[in-house]
Amino acid sequence: MDDLAVQVKNASFSYGKKQVFHDISFNVKKGEVFCIIGPNGCGKTTLLDCILGLLKINTGEILVGKVNIKKTKPQELAERVAYVPQTHERRFPYKVEDIVLMGRASKTKIFSSPNSEDKEIAKKAMEKVGILELADSPYTQISGGQCQLVMIARALAQESEIIIMDEPTAHLDFKNELILLETVVNLVRENNITVIMATHFPNHAYYFETNNIPTTLALMNNGVLEKIGNPGEVLNENNIRQIYSINSKLIDYNLGKRFIKQIVPLSIVKDA
Amino acid sequence: MPRAILAGLVGASLAVSGAAFQGLFFNPLVDSGMLGVSSGAGFGAALAILLFNRSSIYIYIFALFFGAVAVLLSYIIGRTYNTTPTIMLVLGGTVVSSIFSSLISLTKYVADPYEKLPAITFWLLGSFASVSRQDLIVGLPPMTIGILGLILIRWRINVLSMGDREAHTLGINSNLNKLIAIGFATLATAGAVCVSGTIGWIGLIIPHIGRMIAGNDNKKLIPISCILGASFLIIIDNIARTLTSGEIPIGILTSMLGGPFFIYLLKRTKGGSW
Repeated sequence: MDDLAVQVKNASFSYGKKQVFHDISFNVKKGEVFCIIGPNGCGKTTLLDCILGLLKINTGEILVGKVNIKKTKPQELAERVAYVPQTHERRFPYKVEDIVLMGRASKTKIFSSPNSEDKEIAKKAMEKVGILELADSPYTQISGGQCQLVMIARALAQESEIIIMDEPTAHLDFKNELILLETVVNLVRENNITVIMATHFPNHAYYFETNNIPTTLALMNNGVLEKIGNPGEVLNENNIRQIYSINSKLIDYNLGKRFIKQIVPLSIVKDA
Repeated sequence: MPRAILAGLVGASLAVSGAAFQGLFFNPLVDSGMLGVSSGAGFGAALAILLFNRSSIYIYIFALFFGAVAVLLSYIIGRTYNTTPTIMLVLGGTVVSSIFSSLISLTKYVADPYEKLPAITFWLLGSFASVSRQDLIVGLPPMTIGILGLILIRWRINVLSMGDREAHTLGINSNLNKLIAIGFATLATAGAVCVSGTIGWIGLIIPHIGRMIAGNDNKKLIPISCILGASFLIIIDNIARTLTSGEIPIGILTSMLGGPFFIYLLKRTKGGSW
C-alpha cells in the first residue's frame, strides 16, 4: 500500500440532483502517469476537482498518501498535490518569477512573503522546465505554451509529490504540445513526480508508455470508469468504437532505437 | 498639524484599500468603494446630519456603522454555497452601492434646503476644512489598523488574485483570506470616509500610478500605493487651502488635478506592461 499516491474508493459526486459520476474506484501508483480520457462532459474535470479538494464527494473516500482528504486543510493538501489548470486567465502583468513564487504559498505564513530560500526553489523550478530566461518578463507577454510551462514551474515550486493536470495541452500548438509532454516525462523520470492528467488525446498515453514511463490509462464515460489498465489493454480499436463511436486503427512501428504506437481515427461509426 | 496627518492617513487608506480590492477582485477597474463602504458611510453621515446637527459625534458613528453594514450586505449577497465567488461579490457590491446612493438622494430630498441640505452636500464632496482633534481620535485607529493589516497581508493578495480555484490549490483558504483582507480594507476606507467625506478617485488611480512605477507585485505595490496616496492627498489638500480665498472641497480637486496627472503618467510610461 506504501507505493500508492492516490486511492479513490467508491466515490460519487452530484451537483444538486444531477449526478456527475458514481462508484468510481482506482489507485494511482507513485511515480506513474495516470491518464484519464473520455468524451467531453464525462466528468473528468469534476473528478480532478474532487481530488484537489475544490469539490467534496458525496459518498466514498479519497486518500492522498494515507490521508483522507475530507478533513484536510487546503494548506496540507497543497503540500501533497499541485495543480496545472487547463487555461490560466492572466489578469495582471505579474513577472514570471512572481507567478512561480506563488507555488510557495502553502509554506508561507499569512502575514509574510517568500524568502530567499523560496526564491532559490522557484529558480530551480524555472530552470527545470527551461523558462529561467523568462523570469523577469511580464507573463502576459509570453506565449500560451510558455505560460503552461510557467504553471508547471509553479506546481514544481510547490514541492508536492503529485501534480494534477487538466488537459494541459488543450490550447497548445504541435511543438508546444511536445515540449509539454517531454517536460512531464522528465519530471516523472528525474523528480519522481506522480502525474494525474486528463487529456483528450489518447495517444498521450502511448507517448508516455513508449518513453518507458509507467503509465495507467482510465477511460471515463457517462460518469463511470469503463476501462482501466495499461494503455495497450485500454486503447484498442474495440474500446474506441464503444466509447467514441469511431472506427480506428492501432499502428505500431519500430524506429530502431525506439518503438512508437498510435491509435489513428478512421471514420465515424454509422448506426447499424 | 492634525490636518496634514489626517490627509496623509486618508490618502494612504483609500489608495491601499483600492490596490487591495483590485487584486482581490482581479479587476483593475474597482476602487476602495467597491463593496459599498463609501456610499454606506455617506448615507450614514447624511442621515446623522438630518437627524442631529452638522458637527455631531453621531456623524462618525453613523458613517462607520452604515459603511460596515453596506460591506456586510454585499458579502452576504455574494455568498453562495458557503463560498464567495468574486463575480457575486462585485455584483453584490454594485447593488448595495446603488441602494445606498438612492438612500442618500432620499435623505437630501427630505432635508431642509437652507440648513441641512448644504451641510449634507458639502460633507459628501469631501473636505478637511473642519477637521479637529476629535477627527484624529476617531479616525486614527481604524485607518492605522486597516493600512497595517493590508500591508502585512499583501503577498497573500497576489495569491488571491489567481482566482479561487488556483488560490485554493496553492494551499490557502481563499474564503477566509478574502474575508480578512476585506475586513482590513473596510476598516481603512470607513475610517477615511468618516473623517473626510467621500473623496473619489484616489482608490482607483493611485494604485494604477503605483503599478506604473513599481509593477503589479502587491508586495511592492501596496507600500508604494500607501506612500503615493498619502503624499498625493497632502499636496492636494495644501492646494485646496491656498488656491482660492475660500477653500475648495478636496473631493473636487482630486479628480480635477489627478486626472491630467494620470494621463501624463500614462503617456510617459506607455502604461507599463499593460
